[in-house]
Amino acid sequence: MPELGRAALVVAFGLVVYAALAGGYAAFRGRRRLLESATNALFAAFGSVAVAALVLLAALARHDFSFSYVASHTSRELPLGYTLSAFWGGQQGSLLLWLLVLTGMGSAAVLLNRRLVRGVIPWTVPILGGIASFFALLLVFVASPFGTQVAPADGAGLNPSLQNPYMLAHPPLLYLGYVGLTIPFAFAMGALASGRADERWIVATRRWTLASWTFLGFAILLGAKWAYEEVGWGGWYAWDPVENAALMPWLVATAYLHSVMVQEKKNMLRVWNAVLVAGAFCLSLFGTFLTRSGVINSIHSFTQSSIGAWFLGFIAVVAAASTALILYRLPLLRSRTRLESLVSREAAFLYNNLFLVALALTVLWGVIYPLVSEAVRGVAVTVGAPYYDFFAIAFGLPLVLLMGVGPLIAWRRASLRALGRSLLWPAGVALAVGVMLLAAGAGSSPPGLVGYTFAAFVLAAIVLEFVRGTRARHALGAGSWVGAFTSLIGRNRRRYGGYVVHAAIVLLLVGAVGIGGFGTTREAKVSAGQTMQVGDYTLTYLGSEQRRAANAVEVRARLAVARGGNELGTILAGKNRYLAEQQTSNEVAIRSDWLRAEDLFVIADQFNTDGSVFLKVLINPLVNLIWLAGMLFVAGSLITMWPDAREQRRLARRFVEEGALARA
Amino acid sequence: MEIFAVVLGALLAVACVAFVARPFLAEPETADDRLAGLTPVEQERLQLAEQRDRALAALKELEFDHRTGKIADADYGELVGPLRREAAEALQALEPVRASAPAPVERVDAPA
Amino acid sequence: MARRRSPARLVIALSVAAALAIFLVYTALAGGTPSLRPSQLAGQDGRVSVAGKVVGTPTGTARGPSGLHFTLRDVQGTASVPVVYRGSVPDLFRTGRDVSVEGSLQNGVFVADKLVTKCPSKYSAKGT
Repeated sequence: MPELGRAALVVAFGLVVYAALAGGYAAFRGRRRLLESATNALFAAFGSVAVAALVLLAALARHDFSFSYVASHTSRELPLGYTLSAFWGGQQGSLLLWLLVLTGMGSAAVLLNRRLVRGVIPWTVPILGGIASFFALLLVFVASPFGTQVAPADGAGLNPSLQNPYMLAHPPLLYLGYVGLTIPFAFAMGALASGRADERWIVATRRWTLASWTFLGFAILLGAKWAYEEVGWGGWYAWDPVENAALMPWLVATAYLHSVMVQEKKNMLRVWNAVLVAGAFCLSLFGTFLTRSGVINSIHSFTQSSIGAWFLGFIAVVAAASTALILYRLPLLRSRTRLESLVSREAAFLYNNLFLVALALTVLWGVIYPLVSEAVRGVAVTVGAPYYDFFAIAFGLPLVLLMGVGPLIAWRRASLRALGRSLLWPAGVALAVGVMLLAAGAGSSPPGLVGYTFAAFVLAAIVLEFVRGTRARHALGAGSWVGAFTSLIGRNRRRYGGYVVHAAIVLLLVGAVGIGGFGTTREAKVSAGQTMQVGDYTLTYLGSEQRRAANAVEVRARLAVARGGNELGTILAGKNRYLAEQQTSNEVAIRSDWLRAEDLFVIADQFNTDGSVFLKVLINPLVNLIWLAGMLFVAGSLITMWPDAREQRRLARRFVEEGALARA
Repeated sequence: MEIFAVVLGALLAVACVAFVARPFLAEPETADDRLAGLTPVEQERLQLAEQRDRALAALKELEFDHRTGKIADADYGELVGPLRREAAEALQALEPVRASAPAPVERVDAPA
Repeated sequence: MARRRSPARLVIALSVAAALAIFLVYTALAGGTPSLRPSQLAGQDGRVSVAGKVVGTPTGTARGPSGLHFTLRDVQGTASVPVVYRGSVPDLFRTGRDVSVEGSLQNGVFVADKLVTKCPSKYSAKGT
């Protein structure tokens, strides 16, 4: 069976190379049949890659250890779900997933937009083919998932930290995000290549970009939830290069989503947008490179896996080609509309972009600096949380402020008087909240206090927007208040969906500040029967228990939790010892209090031979708001993406209009 | 098992090649193999159409912002004039060329 | 139309330049903590951070009286140093993993009170 997999990948490689070369020639020379053929090649490539994927999945399900890949990433005792998820658990399999999603999404995007952006598709197909060629090349010649060996009795097993539901969902969602960013990139570059000056490709790719961005953001939060529960040090984001790898493209994609709105409405910032979309795509490739090549541990370990060099080369090619194309089309891109005032919604979008890109560059520098330092000076350096925290606050707080101010400023040129009037009520609320929090002791973390004040400001501004909108709709005779509210959102999905997403980000900020600035930690050694006081919680160590699970030995400390005299039940914290993988992992106890939105976080560090246990206990205030924010984020995004029948009709009318002009 | 896999692989390859060659097999000789593109005139029209839509959308947004109270009456009065002129100009620019295709015009004061 | 330069471009250029300048300066001065390799450790007094690969079998317990004993080797190389660590042991700590410890060298043994493992790139080959 591995032969089928290998063959399928070779066929796929041939198909995407054909799509790239033939498609490019067809677009350049204007050959209809050749282009159709190249497009068919892209579709067929998806089919072929799907066959290869099925072969691998079948081998995993069968525990076919003659496949080296299956042997290195699974074991007989592994539950089925995790066995199948090992598909993307290793380097070769994850590359296969990339190619699968790329050919799948690419085919779908081309198929769905074949008529709407007819001039651009001829160039989009070869660009997608070219990107797919790179991954197919790696899969066929450098990192094949179908290597074989003499089948051992049992496989090496999956890293126990990865045996967690969040880690199951995280990679596929992450890839939908990473790969999804290829679509707007391909269309944008296709539009540039075709020399078209119109914006239809933006309309065509808007939902693709939004969906990818949502997947990416949600995947980052899933990763954070995994780190919180599974890695269990008490925090939720460690600014680790692997985490940053996904954050960077997300930040640039956020900037792009905002500035593309300005291009749609005002026909401005066109060069900037082209740069942003290319940057987002390059960063998603870079993120893939970071998590594949092992370069993070040391710049020297990077040479151990040749994948790294290939990736860097490809990123360089993509960056160079995009730059060349943008420069070539610079006269076409130069917009005739100017920024009229530094106090206008256009300017607010611009500032938003600048802070987001600055934050992305900060993270990039933090990731690259150790490698640069080691390569240039021979001195290894570690960039820690203080660096990231400083800039996250420096750039994040103004961004939050802009989220509140931006929607209230008028386009073109805002009068400061009108702006002041709009901001009065939210600013008043924010001030009141700030004072109350100060009185409640939030002054212990000044950036936290400022963050909360800004958060209150933005939330007040958003509520104000909803209230005003509902009132206006109600005045138009929309019936009940509820009816007015729903029809308001229904008719202005982009605007109000966007507000919901902003609210989600603010909620995330509140949670992050809570756990980061206002938490408590205590460590103690307790014997059976002893109690430990942390904040207003009292923990009593009742004893330890041990049991044998499918692939591990589980040891737990049982603790009774009480607060203010009330019994709150018992929790279990301890360790798992995984047999096949010879590894121990912490299994922390998390008691979430939904009313206070705080977590009692217990790590059983060490079980001593005398029956006592060493505990590290943290109180994480407001941390659950982070996960809530994730769900609100997805909900808001869905609202903005939801198909709008009226918008569709309008677009269809426009197409018919122009269709009467263009030749069939 | 091995020979089975190889045969399947060969079948896959053949199917893909056939699919890729289909456009040429379906139309071995064709009068018009040119890719539909837009002439400069059509390009210009497309851009004008987009300009018109942009102007109309801006007008709609202004009215919405005014109705929800974000823009004061005085400011609205100042801003609506130039926007209406822009929209009218954009519609005008499309007028002379618009011979056969009936372009449905959005009513500016329709409820948003 | 008059070819007046839009303030947008100027604002963008200045901001990017400013941002770059800020973090170049920051990292040069305060951002990076130098981390040494075991081979560079000889003769170092004072508090430093050492990064390397865990080799051999760790003995003892980090919260126990004598601490966790293990050997840290150069990632690329053979120079190694014995380490004694007291504190919380992160999940991902195991033989073969690259870790970073902070502490000081005392009588040829590195006494550490901070231990950090890097998020393992799960796509690297099994065995790292």
